[in-house]
Amino acid sequence: MTTPHALSVAMLLADARLPSGGHAHSASLEPALLGGMPTASVPAWLVGRATTVSLVEAGTAVVTARLLAEVSDGGFGLADVVRAWAARTTAPALRDAARLLGRGYLRLARTLWSDAAAVRALVAHDAAHGPLPRAIVLGAIAAATGLPAADTVRLTVYDDAQTAASALLKLEPLDPVTPAHWVLEACAAAEQHVLRVAACTTPEDIPASGSPQTEGWAQAHALLSQRLFRA
Amino acid sequence: MPAGGRAPAARALRLGVAGPVGVGKSSLIATVCRALGAELRIGVITNDIYTDEDARFLRSAGVLEPERIRAVETGACPHTAIRDDVTANLLATEDLERDFDPLDLVIIESGGDNLTATFSPALVDAQIFVLDVAGGGDVARKGGPGIGRADLLVVNKTDLAPHVGVDVAQMVSDASAARENRAVVALSRSDDASVAQLRAWVLGVLDSFRAGAHVAQDPGPMAPHFHADEDGGYVHSHDDDGRAHDHAHTH
Repeated sequence: MTTPHALSVAMLLADARLPSGGHAHSASLEPALLGGMPTASVPAWLVGRATTVSLVEAGTAVVTARLLAEVSDGGFGLADVVRAWAARTTAPALRDAARLLGRGYLRLARTLWSDAAAVRALVAHDAAHGPLPRAIVLGAIAAATGLPAADTVRLTVYDDAQTAASALLKLEPLDPVTPAHWVLEACAAAEQHVLRVAACTTPEDIPASGSPQTEGWAQAHALLSQRLFRA
Repeated sequence: MPAGGRAPAARALRLGVAGPVGVGKSSLIATVCRALGAELRIGVITNDIYTDEDARFLRSAGVLEPERIRAVETGACPHTAIRDDVTANLLATEDLERDFDPLDLVIIESGGDNLTATFSPALVDAQIFVLDVAGGGDVARKGGPGIGRADLLVVNKTDLAPHVGVDVAQMVSDASAARENRAVVALSRSDDASVAQLRAWVLGVLDSFRAGAHVAQDPGPMAPHFHADEDGGYVHSHDDDGRAHDHAHTH
């Protein structure tokens, strides 16, 4: 049987049309705007995410992929990676949203890569211990499809920025081309961190670059009765 | 067939309610809950566009325990959430079915969209499309996937007909013609006979579903249309029991 190139898998995962529940999320943008961040700050905010919280997600995915591909032998398990991610994602609202996205991703993964040991390991872990965050599921998909670590990092950064950019067009009146430019700027800003994050092998290696303001906005957003996006 | 892990008849019937904004979808769901709440274990998922107002309306209507009514965000894309990417609704439905196991019926309310928005059979087993007389007597005649091919078409708020100059009998007749005689109910929540019709339809679908006789139909986003090809062409009906089919041909 032939298999798709890892780049094709990356493109599939980066496509907003992928049916995994992502369209109901704004990558923290709606909470930020409702929390008072001006639209003019969005480009800088995207760069900020690309070089902080996105790297936490990316590092989590990379370490998970190494663990599940059995190239990592650091004496730790999936639960340790999840704990490391949770410790770096302190807002319960963001952890809940990430787990919801993880369930959507796993639903997709268990259909597309049903025979992959990495995906099966996650399905079993999910059944025994509850939903896993999206970064962990992305790691399993990377392990199952041979997605290189550096591309896993780039995919994570891009997906976050593009999710926010798409949501922005529903929240603020803008020329739709403008945020596309900002997405590329955010990706460019993350590039200097890509190899470092791609080299992560243990939970301790995962960047701990949090964003307290985003966490606070996320908690406030979760209590609203009027919102377009889940988080 | 909706993914669920269990055989269809072993879980709740998943019933979608779609239709334009303001036609009375939430009110219809409250009516179904009132009419059947004593004999069926019901859960409700709402897809509000930018609030959880529908969920709150239903909770305040007192027709179900508030915990059995849950709201799902749709990112300003209610049609996506019921058709192109049903993930959020499927997860919410599975959670509801797990938390209140066993349920007989889960009703999923679309956020309200245009006439082309219908549910994917990957999410629901059957669907009701709702119009109202106040939206204009000619809407039913215009047809469309939901009007033409939903399992049931409801023409709602018939009590308003005299005030908006609509002939209900004509509207139902137009709808029946557009639907090739699939089921139509002219409903007013204050008309007990019409509520009884709606109730009987839901119970009929549930019986059929439990017996394994019900097959989810896809109304499709497209009307049946003709494809020309070298052999003279064929009619693409989108009426093939919801099976996946090849869309690679040129439209």
